[in-house]
This record gives sequence, C-alpha cells and structure tokens, in this order.
Amino acid sequence: MPATLRVRLTERIARWARKRQGEDLLPVVLRARRLYILPTRAGYGAAVLLFVMLVAGLNYTNSLALLLTFLLAGFVLVGMHECQRTLLGLELISVHAPDCSAGEEGLLELRFANHAGSARRALAVRSAYSAPVPFELGPGEQLTVRARHRCDRRGRHRISRLELSSTAPFGLFRSWTWLYLPVEVLVYPRALGTRPLPPPLAGRAAVNQPELIRGDEEWSSLRAYQAGDSPRGIAWKIVARGGPYMVGQYTGSAGSDYRLELAALDSLNLEAALSQLRVWVDSCTRLGANCSVELAGSQLPAGRGPQHRTTLLRALALYGEPPP
Amino acid sequence: MKERTQARASSPLAVLALLVTATANAHHLAWWSLPLLTLAAGWHALALRRGHALPGRWARLAFTVLLTCGVLLSFRTLNGLSAGATLLSAMCAAKLFEARSLRDWQIIVGATLFLLLAACLDAQQLWRLPLYALCLWLCAAALRGMAGGTRPPLGTLLRESGRQLLYALPLTVVLFLFFPRLPGAFWAIPVEGDAITGLGDEMTPGDIARLVESDAPALRVRFAGALPPVSERYWRGPVLHDFDGKTWRRRRAIAAPSTPLELHGLAYSYSATIEPNTHGTVIALEMTLPPGTVGLTYTDDFQLLLARSLTQTQSFELTAYPLAHRPARLPEALREIDLALPLDRNPRTRELALQMRAKAVDDAAFVRVVLDYFRTGGFEYTLTPHRLGYDSSDDLLFSTHEGFCGHFASAFVDLMRAGGVPARVVTGYQGGEWNPIGHYLTVRQSDAHAWAEVWIASSGWQRADPTAAVSPDRVNREWLAFEGGANREGARLGAGARWLATALQSWDALSAWWQDEVVGFDAAHQLRLASWLGLGDRDWHALAIALAAGLALWLGWIAWSLRRLVRSERPDVLGRAWRRLDQRLARAGHPRAAHEGVLAYCQRLAISAPEMARSLSPLALEYARLRYGPPAGGGEFREFVRAARRFRALPH
Repeated sequence: MPATLRVRLTERIARWARKRQGEDLLPVVLRARRLYILPTRAGYGAAVLLFVMLVAGLNYTNSLALLLTFLLAGFVLVGMHECQRTLLGLELISVHAPDCSAGEEGLLELRFANHAGSARRALAVRSAYSAPVPFELGPGEQLTVRARHRCDRRGRHRISRLELSSTAPFGLFRSWTWLYLPVEVLVYPRALGTRPLPPPLAGRAAVNQPELIRGDEEWSSLRAYQAGDSPRGIAWKIVARGGPYMVGQYTGSAGSDYRLELAALDSLNLEAALSQLRVWVDSCTRLGANCSVELAGSQLPAGRGPQHRTTLLRALALYGEPPP
Repeated sequence: MKERTQARASSPLAVLALLVTATANAHHLAWWSLPLLTLAAGWHALALRRGHALPGRWARLAFTVLLTCGVLLSFRTLNGLSAGATLLSAMCAAKLFEARSLRDWQIIVGATLFLLLAACLDAQQLWRLPLYALCLWLCAAALRGMAGGTRPPLGTLLRESGRQLLYALPLTVVLFLFFPRLPGAFWAIPVEGDAITGLGDEMTPGDIARLVESDAPALRVRFAGALPPVSERYWRGPVLHDFDGKTWRRRRAIAAPSTPLELHGLAYSYSATIEPNTHGTVIALEMTLPPGTVGLTYTDDFQLLLARSLTQTQSFELTAYPLAHRPARLPEALREIDLALPLDRNPRTRELALQMRAKAVDDAAFVRVVLDYFRTGGFEYTLTPHRLGYDSSDDLLFSTHEGFCGHFASAFVDLMRAGGVPARVVTGYQGGEWNPIGHYLTVRQSDAHAWAEVWIASSGWQRADPTAAVSPDRVNREWLAFEGGANREGARLGAGARWLATALQSWDALSAWWQDEVVGFDAAHQLRLASWLGLGDRDWHALAIALAAGLALWLGWIAWSLRRLVRSERPDVLGRAWRRLDQRLARAGHPRAAHEGVLAYCQRLAISAPEMARSLSPLALEYARLRYGPPAGGGEFREFVRAARRFRALPH
C-alpha cells in the first residue's frame, strides 16, 4: 500500500473513530469499545506460515503436522487476546503540556497507571509528528511518559490526536487506541527576526546601555547561538578556537527599559511582526533588562525575568485570538 | 563494500530453539548441517561479545551459493523433505551470521517452525513427542521475546509462553478432531523412502555372516475376532522367483486374473498397521483378499503391492481365508519361471534332488522326503553362519550344514526346482507377540522369516517351511520368535523382571494407540467421531457445526481466563473492610468523595453529622495507623475488620 494512501486511510478511520468514541475526559480508562487491533507485518507473515503448514499437513494427511499447526494457531490467537488485554483497563491519569514555540517540538507529559496485577509491556505512545515513545508498566505501577508534539502556528491549540499502542506479547499483533484529549497547549510565535533591538527608553539609556565588551570573560555565562541573536553577542574567540557559536549572557546592566511596540513593525505582516517581537523579548530577557510590550490596543506592563517573559510570550501567542 | 554493522539485537532463545529443532531433524539432514549450525551459533555468540563486524553483502551471497551447492552435492536435488530441511537449516546458519534486526530474528523463528514441521512430516514416533513439544515451547518463548521494548527475563518468557501454549491446547484438540481432512494428497513432493526393514527386493543368505536383529516393530495387527493358530501366523511379504545360484530376486509384478480364489471356510478379519518399508508390499496373512483400497495390486503370486514404497505408517483393513480353494491350474509362464535354475550352478544339489525324486512316488511325497532330509540331515540353526560361495546350495547341503531361514529356504527351493516341482521363496514374518494391554499382535523385524511355496498339482500352492523341519522350536513356541527367540522380553529378562516386560508392553501399546488414533486420525476417523457424537453421519455439516461450537466455546473461555490480566488487584483486607463502611455511609446519605482520605472525610463529617463522626473517627484513626503506621500484627487487622463490621451508619 502506498504510504500516502495508507496515511489518508488512517486519517479517515481516525475521524470515524473520533465520531464514534467522542471526546475523552481525563482520567481516561481504556475500554474494549475503543481498542482496535490488526496484525503487524510479522503477523501477516505468521498467517502465511500457518497456512503453508496447514496445507502441508492436509496434503500429506500428516496428523502430527496438523497438530503442530493447530497448536501454533491457538498460540497466536491467545496472543491476540493478550495484545488487546495489554491496553484494556489502562488509565491515563493526567496530561501536562508546557508552552512551546511554533515550528519546534513541544513536550507532552502523560501519566499512566496500571491497576492490573500483571505487567503491561511493549507500550508506545506517539503524536502525529513524533516517533513512538516506548514504555512499559509493571503491575500496579504509575509512570510519566514524555512524548513530543509539534505545532506550526502560534496560538492556543488542542493537542492533536495521540495514538497509544502495544505489540505485546510477541509482536504479531498491534492493538491501539486514539486519544482525543481536551488539553490545550499555548504556542508562542516562532523566534524569527533580524531587526536590531530598538534603543532603550530615553533618559536611562546613556547610563545603562549594555557595554560592548570585547572580552569573553566579562560575560557571566555562555549559551548556544540561536537564530535572531545579535552577531555582536557571539563569542568570536571561541569560534576562532574551533568551538561552537556561543552567545554571551550578561548579568548586570539591569535597569535598561525597552518598550517594544507592534506598531513599530507595521512594515511586516502580523505573524512576522509577532515573531520579531518575540526575538526582542528573548533578547531583553537575556540582557536582564526591563521591557514592556505594546500591542495594538493593549499595553503589557514592564518587568523582567523568566516569569515576565512567559507573560509577554503568552500575550504574543494569543494576540488576535478570541478569549477562550 | 563491507558493512561495519554490529550484531545488535540477539535472541539466545531463538538460537537455542533452532539448535534443538535441528537436532530433532538430525536423522534426515545432511551430515554437515548440525556442525554448520553449531559453528554459526558459536560465531554469533562470539560476535555479540566481541563486537565483530558482520560479513558484507558479497561474503553473504557467496556463502549462500556455497551452501546451496552443498545441499545439491549431498542430495542431488533441492526438492524433497530432507533436501529442503537441510537447505532451510543451512540458510538459518547463514542468517545467524547476519542477524541484526528484530525482523531477522522473526525470520529465524519462522524458519525454525518450518524445520519443526519438516521433522513432524518425517517422523511421528511417540517418543519424539516430548522433543517436538520442547522445540515448540522454545520457539514460542523466543517469539514472546520479540514484542519490542525490553525483553523480559528468560524464566518469565518460558513461563508465559508455556501458559499461552496450554491455553491453546483445547483449541488444538477441537481443530484436530473437527477440521475437515482431505482423503488424500492433492500435491506431492517426493518423500524419500528411507525406511529400513528386514525384508528387501532380493535375498543373498550366503553373504550374511551375522544376522543383526532389530526389535523395531514391522507391523501391528488387530483381529476383529479369533486369532489364527500360531502355526498359521505366516505374514507374507515379497515373493522371490529368480535365482542365479546364490541370490534370489523378485520379478516384475503381474496382476492376478480377476477371480483368483473361491472364498469359503474360516475368515480372519484384521487390521494391519504397517511400518514404512521399501519393498512396497502389504504384509498380510496367507490367502488375504485384496481389500477395497484403491492403489493396491493383487498379483498372481498372491502379493498385495502398493504403487510405490510405503513411506509412512499406514493401516489396512484386510480379511484372510486360509482355507480358500486355490487355483488348480498353474499358467505355463509361471511354471517356467518357478522351475528355472542356472545350469552351471549347484551340480551336487541337482544330483541329490534327482535321486530323491526318483525315490518318491509323486511330487507331494518328494516334498516330504526333502523336508525329512532337512530334519535328519544334521543341519543346525544359527544366526552366525559361515559364508557360502557361488554354489550356495551345494555349500550348505554338503559342507557347512548350518544357517538360518534364508539358507534353508533357498536350498529347499533349489532342490524342489531341480526335482521338477515348481517352487518359490517367500519372505515375510512369522509369529508375533501378543500385547495383552493393547490387545494386538506385534510383529517385529526380528520376526523376519523366509520359507518356500511348492506347486502340487492336486492341491495347488502349498507352504513348506524347511526351517521348521530343522528347528521346530523356532516356529511353534508362542513367545519365541522364529529367528533368535532370545530377543523376546519375557525370555530375555527372565521371570524376575516381569514388571519390565509389562512396562515395555505398555509403552508398545501406548505407541500403538498413538499410531492408530492420533497419527492415523483421518477423514474416516472424523466421520466416525461425528456420528458417534450424534452429529449426523457422512456429512461435513456435522464437522462444521462441531468446529464452530468448539471454537466459540474456546474463545469464550480464553476471554474469561485472560480477565486476570486486566482485573485490578483485589483490595486487601483493610481496603475491603473500609469499602463496606463506605457503602453503608453512602446509603446513609454521607458518601465519601473520591479524593477524600478517610481522616479528611471524618473531619467533614464532624460538621455535617457530628454524631456519626464521633463513632467513625476511632475506626478512621485505626485504619490510618494500620495502613501507614509501623507494621502491625494480623490480630489487629482482624480486630479492625470486626469493629468495622459492627459499625452502623445512622440515617439522617
């Protein structure tokens, strides 16, 4: 089956399943109604093997060969039941989705609980964008599984469909369920923009302009270069030594005030402008400077530190979206 | 291009399963298969430990071609069970050199299962059953280790796969009994006739210096009614006509005229289960009529011939008429064949025969004279005779005077033919051992015998057994075989080891049951079973119904028994006791919220129902102490349960 056809078919079936099973409410306990099961590729191979064995046994009217074939068939069928049982009754207690940036992978923390007296093996969870994350649960165990997801647009988004599957006990069958979780994730605008930081507010700028210090030792710490960083901040000495591109972080020079205005970026379209604003907010946070953001119609208060950054980025993420 | 990939995934269980299964096939694989597999397994283990690079693509291709050539050299073909199994095991060895991914290992287990199938197709003796079961168990365990994710420990794999196989057993029985069988093969690949029996297409007694005996069964016979007397238990096999002075050979089979026998007198109905043999003859009592079975030819010398050699144990329903009237006329062609002697061989025998014939009044008297000669001529029965030369009859009669059945039958027929009486050598078995546990007669390879048939004009073909004349004991004693009676359990082990004889007989009976009822279970058995179950007879519908019902029952049973896998752990004593309290409190209108601990609940209750909270709080405190405090004795738990039972919730 061509890959695209397969994907389209899966999408259709997933939509049908969504209609059928409705919205999930946490905590989700998996019931038989929503569990689906199909043979894996190896499972189809096993079916062919069994068929050939059956034909051989029938052809030679060989009872022992038939006995072997039937025993194997029973073994496989018991395994099929076990495969479904691996998911049945599994509980998803909670889901935590920290904020993330558009175009980058976001983290998804899922907490599962196994109430059964036996282990659940060969489990895997995956989102539409990530490879399956394997895990397993011992008897009565709880576990937090970290999966990845990805959003390309900023804003408030529902977590896309998750797929929870198991190939236990022997990889010949794969049972799965689709989770449609009522969990939203905030996606910041992507950090993209090359315009220099506007000058700090007049009055305090002369005093608190961060010095363009030419020695690496003046930086309190270094971090990896990100798109949008000023070339002036790069620790060129390290690059000259063959090291990676690093950017110096300043501790001090607190006190500069920046006002970042959306209106100042009207030559860009809205998304690009928000992305540029995000770069600036990040720069200010790195500089440890106070900054405030003025979006059309609303003024966000000035402040500094990671907490403030989160507030600002959330505002950027939700700009233009109707309130929930 | 050399791939520098390392053996990553490995499955020691799969390797073990492969080795054991190959060993179960050892008897029909090429001699180099097992060493090669062992080598490959050793290499794999070493590569895993040391991190060798796996061989490159060209090396693997060359290796594969080499192995295929090896199989061709050993078997001259790739077709056929043994060649196929050898090729499969060789390819498994090749795969071990390059096994890397989970998929490679799945392929190896699949191939191992195919090898197991080959072993099942080839040999079905009862003693092999545990071996096959072990192979299957190992394969199943290896499969369970391939679910992906971390592999559970070996013990867990073996235990769980064993349990899974046990769950599959009832379905196996249902399918085995009711899955429709085909009456015959619809496609055939050659199966080698590698059966070895005491009988063959020719007989050269003079070349045998030592007759090695085998206790392996040749056939098992169940009689529907009475048994024939011991003296009549001659089981006919290949009939030998052509003699070159030393060796007796068969001739091309000629089908008998349509009505060879007039049937009357005593009849013995019996079912003979015949082990594989190469001569393609159905071993049967004398004067056994051709059964309705298709594919059997009844020849003019009373043999029942199969189209080809018997490669698998097979049962035949037969009826013998020992008193049947024999044809009164010998066709001229047959007479010539059965009088032919090489002109330049055994001159003294010829002379002796002519002398004796001259003394006798007729052919029948001649036969009696010659038998008397064997009885009184100072002949001795032995299993380790001297070798005989090209004039084998002369050597036996005039110099060595010793031999076993083949020697005497050969010389006797030579004498008969020289005296002008048509005669032939019949090979087969004589006697048989009654198995009192299974109620059947076991005829072993060591019961192999050779005797003569002579043509007397007045009465047709008559059996004449010169060996019985030499050594009457050999034929007439119930418990002793004709050839080398020392082999019989009872005689060999002595009276003191009676229990051992019983055990051996029980084992033999069990093997016979296995052979008849399990290995021999076929379409006919199935229909009989269906009609016995009252499902209507001679109808596949009945089988379908039984199959569907059995399958449904089994699926239900499996679903029910696997509940255990998902059932929550039973709450402990404390939990159960408190749950009952909860139920009572809920009925009284004070349900405990799901998030509330018992102490928090008591505090809330103290506001809404202070009266009840007062009586409940000691229980709640005790619960918290037993649950979370220092370890408590069992008595305290029981006390708590009793106290909880006494608690009565007051309706509000």
